[in-house]
Amino acid sequence: MARGVMLMSGGIDSPVALHYLLRQGHEMVAVHMDNRPFTDDSPLEKVVDHLTMLRERYRQPIPLYLIPHGSTQVTLMRNTDRHVGCVLCRRFMWRSAERIAERENAVFLATGEALGQVASQTLSNMRSATASVQLPIVRPLIGFDKQEIEAVAKEIGTYGISTRPGVCCQAVPDRPATRSNLVQILQQEERIDVEQMLDECVRKTVLL
Amino acid sequence: MYRTLRVCSNRGGYEAVPEPPFPIDLAEARRRLEREGVAVVDARVMLIAALEADVTIARSGRLLFKTQDALKAQRSFERLAALLGLPGENLAVRGERSGGPRSRPGD
Repeated sequence: MARGVMLMSGGIDSPVALHYLLRQGHEMVAVHMDNRPFTDDSPLEKVVDHLTMLRERYRQPIPLYLIPHGSTQVTLMRNTDRHVGCVLCRRFMWRSAERIAERENAVFLATGEALGQVASQTLSNMRSATASVQLPIVRPLIGFDKQEIEAVAKEIGTYGISTRPGVCCQAVPDRPATRSNLVQILQQEERIDVEQMLDECVRKTVLL
Repeated sequence: MYRTLRVCSNRGGYEAVPEPPFPIDLAEARRRLEREGVAVVDARVMLIAALEADVTIARSGRLLFKTQDALKAQRSFERLAALLGLPGENLAVRGERSGGPRSRPGD
């Protein structure tokens, strides 16, 4: 079995995806991108509670890295086109996770994405986002529909945590792009200093 | 005119949407808030101001108060309205989660 890094959002999907990977026997490390002040404290609290539940179920330590992402969002909003903001944001998430994977000797990244569920989860957006990293990305829920995911979340006890009140991400544009192309995304990234921003976030990362 | 504070879709905060729309000049709003000592994050297309509850201020005039406490949201709106000259007072609270029945500051 392999060691992987799981992106955890506090939503319904990521703990279910993590559950499947743990059930297969993989050793997992969790990463949460801290979107405050574009959200409230609730996503982090939910991730902590999800991990408490899954650590107990699978008797695994599952370390949690908290990566500050709010200042990245500000830079993206001030310097890039809003409609591709979710793809650019996602690229930073993947890059950050890959940095943690290097630190943790992990060999894959994982996410709770299911195809077509939200704007960032179309094939073209996934391709644009994941082109930012080298490690393979595992998506245990890729073909699931929402009802299936919710049923598993209820079964493993994470649904009630995920659906607690919270403020959704305020950085999401009114009309996010559902189709992006990599050339366009790379042109957007020329407007910002990606490496410097990433170094700064990773430097401020906290292991909880 | 702002008339109501409504629980937002994920139930984590309260939003106020002006009817008819009331566009806000964010650069001017930032100046006014900072002049009064309010910490502001300026993301160009929106501001986030640290009042009693953090509030996201969109150009369209939409406001989102990041608190589940109706009274905190209400007090934050009233302070913001005074600082920025927003039209609206004694907002009705819809879909209240906490903070008890609607009350006015000083009640």
